Amino acid sequence: MTATIRKGPVVGEGSSAAGGGAVSRSRRARPLITYGRWWWALPAIAMVALVHYAATAGGAVYAFTDWTGIGDFDFIGLDNFRRIFDDPKLIGSLKNTLFLAFGFLVLTNVVGLCLALALNRTLKSRYLLRVLFFMPVVLSPLAVSYVWKFIFDFKGPLNGVLGWVGMEPRTWLADPTLALWAVLLVMAWQTTGMVMVIFLAGLATVPIEIEEAAAIDGAGTWRRFRHITIPSIRPSIAIASTLMLIQGLRVFDQVMALTGGGPAGATETLATQVYKQTFALSNFGFGAALALLLTLIMLVFSVLQQVATRDRSQGA
Amino acid sequence: MTQRGPWRLRRVSVLLAAPAVGALTLTGCGGSESGGEAGGSAAAADGFTFTFENASGGESPWQLLADEYTAATGVEIETQGLPPDSYGLTVRTQLQGGNASDLMMFSPGAGNSNAVMPLAEAGYIEPLGESSTELIPEGNEDLFVLDGKTYAQPTDLVPVGMVWNAGAATEAGVEVPGDFDAMIEACKAVGEGKSLFALAGSVPQNAGLMTMSISATRVYAEDPDWNSKRAEGSVSFADSKGWQDTLQTVVDMNEAGCFQDGAAGGGFDAITQGLTQGSALGAFVPGAAATELAKATPGAKFEVEPFPAPTGADPYMFASPNYALAVNAKAEPGAKQAAIDFLAWAAQPENSRTFTELQGGVAITGPDENLAPVYAPVADLLEAGDYSPLPLLSWPNPGVYDALSTGVQGLLTGQGDIPSALAAVDAAWDQ
Repeated sequence: MTATIRKGPVVGEGSSAAGGGAVSRSRRARPLITYGRWWWALPAIAMVALVHYAATAGGAVYAFTDWTGIGDFDFIGLDNFRRIFDDPKLIGSLKNTLFLAFGFLVLTNVVGLCLALALNRTLKSRYLLRVLFFMPVVLSPLAVSYVWKFIFDFKGPLNGVLGWVGMEPRTWLADPTLALWAVLLVMAWQTTGMVMVIFLAGLATVPIEIEEAAAIDGAGTWRRFRHITIPSIRPSIAIASTLMLIQGLRVFDQVMALTGGGPAGATETLATQVYKQTFALSNFGFGAALALLLTLIMLVFSVLQQVATRDRSQGA
Repeated sequence: MTQRGPWRLRRVSVLLAAPAVGALTLTGCGGSESGGEAGGSAAAADGFTFTFENASGGESPWQLLADEYTAATGVEIETQGLPPDSYGLTVRTQLQGGNASDLMMFSPGAGNSNAVMPLAEAGYIEPLGESSTELIPEGNEDLFVLDGKTYAQPTDLVPVGMVWNAGAATEAGVEVPGDFDAMIEACKAVGEGKSLFALAGSVPQNAGLMTMSISATRVYAEDPDWNSKRAEGSVSFADSKGWQDTLQTVVDMNEAGCFQDGAAGGGFDAITQGLTQGSALGAFVPGAAATELAKATPGAKFEVEPFPAPTGADPYMFASPNYALAVNAKAEPGAKQAAIDFLAWAAQPENSRTFTELQGGVAITGPDENLAPVYAPVADLLEAGDYSPLPLLSWPNPGVYDALSTGVQGLLTGQGDIPSALAAVDAAWDQ
């Protein structure tokens, strides 16, 4: 790390506030200590632009073609997108994607926040419990999904328990009304620990003195949570909800491992359709259109989510 | 050696999974009276590279064939075994990147992601000579020939019907059903804890292969050129009485309890366990898998049977080349010639016979004295020519089979009906 120190009188914010306006502006324009130069980042920016954005944009061009992955192709305008919105199965995939994304967002954040609150301060076994709840996060989503597939199997332990209490076994992953919920459950089970950790980090910044003062003033648990805890952990909420929304929108591993998109497309998502159309059915152009649509959806929802969770108090 | 049984079972599981990427898994190499003009020519001094599908990750018959060729001729072959689930994608990428092998294994036709004809159409495949053309079974020309040129060499015939555990069936007191009505009765009569068939209902392609087997007598026995008519647009799946009957047969089987409990959620493990443990008497898997199952289950007797025809109709089945060997059009001249010489050598009867035995298929020229015992029940059908190529191979794109498979899966789970399933197949065909 290289530091450049400029010579001159040190003028802090305090003196600026005291009336040194012109000097202060000059100092803001030329900071006393700077680390490196902006153009040092150019090679990295160029690489990111070339490898990531240019390649992605190049791939997006195929969304307007009928390329099959080999040989020549023709530009077909918006035909791929019309086909997407004309196909009930693909509309179903879009609905499934949104269901999983928002279900995942809500489940992980609510349960994660509850866990964080429960394991924040007083519980003696909180460190052990934190580890236990976080452990699934470090596992491979595929490995976790295959374990759950075994649990959900017709002859698996879940139906064994049901049989033990006298209930009929179910084909959990082959039942169109249950399969999507099963996928959501597995997604949330594995990721809630991550959200819990994010909220625990946020809760660590909540001043205990303020909470105690509020309690002395007669504020109940809910009012302290509503007016002290939630505002204090707003950045954590923004981070957790953004990450979970994006992760939910691009869900792939769990669906492929648990159901493969079945039964009969009941759990297909846009991400699995991108894979299926592109690599299994050799419809590269159509798959690119689906991928572009998925990217746009993620972009729109991420922006909306950022707007919804931004800290409005700073603008006041 | 004590692990041989389980290893074989695992291998069978992987082999059964291969249809998930398009078609069948096991193969053999047929004999030919025409091969032999190269015969391991000493002029073929150049080595070449050879890419093939290796489902089990273990000893591959393709590798054994390559080793035999090297031992016989001294020509070095650099082999590359790729997993089936990404085989088509990998080879396509290699072809476009210019680093594909000189010789490659494909599926015939255009109906799945490993298919050779789209690559031939795009100019990536070298036309072959007369010796390869002569190996193509009658009625299979459109799977190998484009604009009068042969682009791939067939290797074997793989019958597709149903694999039947004859030993378990005898124990259960069930005979091979003579017709469909008898089969429905057998489904109801089979004992507690057993089912007539094991179905991997969670794998659409297994439901698809079952549907293929049923369609042999409902569609293609009466009209072997049905695919050509569909390509012309003179028939459609949705309006076809045969296809409606085929899907109705699936519904009837499901309602009659022909499949194991929880079949809609079953995977390939349900098939391997059901067949080898005798809890299921039959399954819809490639015929060559019967040989592997027999090896994996000492004492068990497996055989290949045609799917029961409707009452009063004659039996009929599918049998077609499972794999096709093709030469990279952009290979170096020396390597290209070496690969072509290998194809000629592999087509020689004695070499193809060895390969057929290793893979468990039927000689490309039809059943002969070396026919594997598992095919004895269908030997008459094969000899009489009462079979046609597996239809999906000549369908125009992989989406057609996928639509059929998914539609049948929907019938099993109650998500769809026959007209909408067939309409979806038509839509996929017309893409």
